[in-house]
Amino acid sequence: MSTGINTYKTDLREIFFTLFEQFGFDQVVGQEPFEAWGPEEAKAVLQEGYRFSKEVLGPLNATGDREGCRLENGQVFTPKGFKEAWQKLYEQGFKSVSVSPEHGGQGGPMMMQVLLEEMLSGANSAFNMYPGLAFGAAELLAECGTAEQKKLYVERMLNGTWGGTMCLTEPHAGSDVGASKTVAKKNADGTYSIRGTKIFISGGDHDMAGNVIHLVLARIDGATPGTKGLSLFIVPKLRVGADGSSSGSNDVSVGSIEHKMGINGSATCVLNFGENDGCLGELVGGVEHAGMSQMFRMMNGARIAVGIQGLALASAAYFNALDYAKDRKQGAHFTKFKDPTAPRVSIIEHPDVRRMLLDLKAHVEGIRALLVKLAMHTDKARMMAGKDDEQAAYHRGQVELLTPLVKAYSSDQAFRLCAQAIQVYGGAGYCQDYPVEQYTRDSKIFSIYEGTNHIQAMDLVGRKMGQAGGAHFQQFMADVGGFVETHREHPVYGEAVRQLAAAQEGIMSSAMAVLGWSQDAAKVPLIPLSANRFLQMMSELAVGWLLLDAAVIAEKAAEKVSESSPDKAFYEGKKWSALWFARNVLPNVEQAARMMALEDSSPVEIPVEAFGGN
Amino acid sequence: MVDVPVSCRSREYPLFKEKDVKILVTAKRVEDPESKIKVKPDGSDIVREGLKYKINPFDEIGVEEGLRLVAKHGGEVVVVSIGGKEVQEQLRHALAMGAQRAVWVNHTGALDQMGVAGLLQKVVEKEKPDLVVLGKQSIDDDQNQVGQYLAEYLGWGQATFASKVESLESEQEKSKTPALQVGADGKTVQVVREVDNGLATLECQLPAVVTTDLRLNLPRYASLPGIMKAKSKPIEELTPEKLGVDVTPKVQVVKLASPPERKAGIKVPDVATLVDKLRNEAKVV
Ligand SMILES: Cc1cc2nc3c(=O)[nH]c(=O)nc-3n(C[C@H](O)[C@H](O)[C@H](O)COP(=O)(O)OP(=O)(O)OC[C@H]3O[C@@H](n4cnc5c(N)ncnc54)[C@H](O)[C@@H]3O)c2cc1C
Ligand SMILES: Cc1cc2nc3c(=O)[nH]c(=O)nc-3n(C[C@H](O)[C@H](O)[C@H](O)COP(=O)(O)OP(=O)(O)OC[C@H]3O[C@@H](n4cnc5c(N)ncnc54)[C@H](O)[C@@H]3O)c2cc1C
Repeated sequence: MSTGINTYKTDLREIFFTLFEQFGFDQVVGQEPFEAWGPEEAKAVLQEGYRFSKEVLGPLNATGDREGCRLENGQVFTPKGFKEAWQKLYEQGFKSVSVSPEHGGQGGPMMMQVLLEEMLSGANSAFNMYPGLAFGAAELLAECGTAEQKKLYVERMLNGTWGGTMCLTEPHAGSDVGASKTVAKKNADGTYSIRGTKIFISGGDHDMAGNVIHLVLARIDGATPGTKGLSLFIVPKLRVGADGSSSGSNDVSVGSIEHKMGINGSATCVLNFGENDGCLGELVGGVEHAGMSQMFRMMNGARIAVGIQGLALASAAYFNALDYAKDRKQGAHFTKFKDPTAPRVSIIEHPDVRRMLLDLKAHVEGIRALLVKLAMHTDKARMMAGKDDEQAAYHRGQVELLTPLVKAYSSDQAFRLCAQAIQVYGGAGYCQDYPVEQYTRDSKIFSIYEGTNHIQAMDLVGRKMGQAGGAHFQQFMADVGGFVETHREHPVYGEAVRQLAAAQEGIMSSAMAVLGWSQDAAKVPLIPLSANRFLQMMSELAVGWLLLDAAVIAEKAAEKVSESSPDKAFYEGKKWSALWFARNVLPNVEQAARMMALEDSSPVEIPVEAFGGN
Repeated sequence: MVDVPVSCRSREYPLFKEKDVKILVTAKRVEDPESKIKVKPDGSDIVREGLKYKINPFDEIGVEEGLRLVAKHGGEVVVVSIGGKEVQEQLRHALAMGAQRAVWVNHTGALDQMGVAGLLQKVVEKEKPDLVVLGKQSIDDDQNQVGQYLAEYLGWGQATFASKVESLESEQEKSKTPALQVGADGKTVQVVREVDNGLATLECQLPAVVTTDLRLNLPRYASLPGIMKAKSKPIEELTPEKLGVDVTPKVQVVKLASPPERKAGIKVPDVATLVDKLRNEAKVV
């Protein structure tokens, strides 16, 4: 299919540890609503998904990056091989793992789906954008559509017949979605005529599916300004018949595609709707002015998906850098650095290279744990729904709280970690012969789209922390506290656990400070100034906790395996990830809390003119 | 390329059904080549702890070929594996690919190629397939014997190293066309074999034994619905006792050892030196 070479690599042992040993997949499956699932099925899905990622998607990653997308006569063409890969992906059914059987899916747990998605994105994050957006759009319609809309669109968008997009951004409405100028006029037959321009639309057009179904935010004539006046419309590229046939233009045209830093295989489009007054849309669910809350259904899933993208590339960068470091010989061992005749060693023998690799390993594993924990809460919330309201509310609350952490922390770290992987390589990593430079370029967008990471931080500080009277936050802190109490005197991890406790105290005092600022007009600007920092502190607390939790589990498991087993080394690795993080990252949380207490507002005090420039 | 139609020995055997083909495919559990294999210090075995396992890749090709034949002619693919209960994992893999049902011969302990062929013979006599497809060898011991023994025990024709004329990038491959050609009357099978100087085409009377080579096809991935369906497909449990086969090994493994480590190569300055070394040191030209 292609001449490209796969560079994607992961470690299924680690993935299975997280899913089965740390987060107890077995306790989630085998009962409603996951009665059809068991550990064997999950393993088979992940093994086949890994193989598919390496054999089908991986070989198209670098070739897709170099070739990019083309716009010819109004039609977007994706890089060579994408179309076949799309077909294969849907043949395998990988996009319907967690989809309800009602829409042709397998109704599987999200815990497993997120790990499958990690592999698909890790092998080719640009490609995986297209099915990812189609999936998100289909899920939204499955939840918010009318019965006819569900019947007509959902399954076709989940099985690859049609693509899908989400269209929020406009030239003057980026982070400020409410500034949208796209308008909708109601027609006599109940449809709406759509007119406006959307920009930066991922997968806005492509050649892999028979049609592309856009979900477009627009304002019905006369509706109030801001987000409250927005409605959501189904706007297909080609008109759709009631029988599911696609034919004839719906007056949606691609103005141009962007030339970007990364994810070059993913077409980022300017879309013009109704330039010739011939663009028809139908109202999602038949309800007006509910566009933003409907879109949020998709955005929550999409934010988690971006977190997955970050993890995916950081992990791929780690395993590539690790292989390279074992192979590349350069310099003598540190203890013999003055002896020019000393044998050259693999760079993994150098302390500084090990420092970088262990930092990569610890972050990747910890972020994966955070992601799977979030997914586990989603699954448990579903399990408990209607059975145990209190438990269901607890799990839903944790999903709310952790979503901005997963999106923002994973994406911020991904860019840093990929760049660090380049550093492990030295000059080779900066060149296109190795994949880490592409991973770095590809990963930068993750902190920007789906709500910039500052928007995530404000979501955490301004909404999630106070949600349900602060209950989600308090429950999270109680969970961390429970772990600390149990393991404070642990013979191996006691000191690290106490470091965790210190980080937690720092966060408690910072949270109190934020609360105080919110009640003092003069100090309110400190909130946005500190929000990103606070999100990072929370994330590091969560990751540090989960790494220690994993280490404690690994220590017990290691007692049962023999010295010669490869599992021995695997479990040992868990210990060092946790200790590294506790000793080298958690102290930053305390330090950050101290900085927050300084209440520094210099960025808002400095006059714009004083920034310099002309 | 040589193209010699040969008719193999034939024997009467009741066919499963006029058009449908019933195919028995083996699914051996082998060490995943991606795991690091170490020999135990006493040489008695390899270190098995922590090893990953998978279906023998040649067998996986056999399952794929069987599924393609059944898609074309109708019928069923039955997979068989011999081993402890862990081999059910490989059977489930084949079922997830699309095989209809499985036979598990529950046996732990040593087994040689004759033992395997003996057990398979009894399974074949019970199942009465039109075609038995095995890998030409399994990637653990690389013996390349079981298919041949089995054909001999059954007194059936055999076609080993089945391959095909088209490349793995060809349209035929993309459209999952079977490489094995069952005759219109359902009584013969044509097999393209890989031989030293090219490809040879054989025609065999059915029932027959075929062993697969690597270039026969690209096995499909187990699809998600396939994985879920596999759970409810039947696996029949048999034992050597039930089958009435004495599997006491005739071949005994005395000792295992890792191959000697390869010595580092040397660089030669030019072609003349290379030729000189090949002639005078290695004495190969
Ligand atoms: C490759 C790519 C793919 C994309 N795909 C899609 C897509 O499929 N669908 C879609 O609708 N959009 C998509 N986008 C758009 C993306 O979601 C926006 O770029 C993003 O929301 C930021 O908006 P903006 O670019 O207009 O930046 P701006 O909103 O102008 O932001 C610029 C900076 O100002 C900050 N900022 C803005 N407003 C505030 C505020 N009120 N308070 C504090 N800080 C603020 C931001 O954090 C940022 O740092 C995509 C963008 C790219 C580059
Ligand atoms: C775009 C570009 C332009 C360049 N321009 C020039 C130029 O004009 N002239 C020129 O001479 N060179 C040039 N270089 C080469 C550049 O200086 C080297 O890439 C750099 O010195 C690193 O060496 P390396 O790439 O071989 O990495 P390596 O030395 O293999 O290093 C790999 C990793 O191992 C670490 N490491 C290596 N040895 C040790 C040690 N003893 N102890 C601890 N850690 C160690 C490194 O820090 C790094 O993380 C250029 C490179 C690039 C990519």
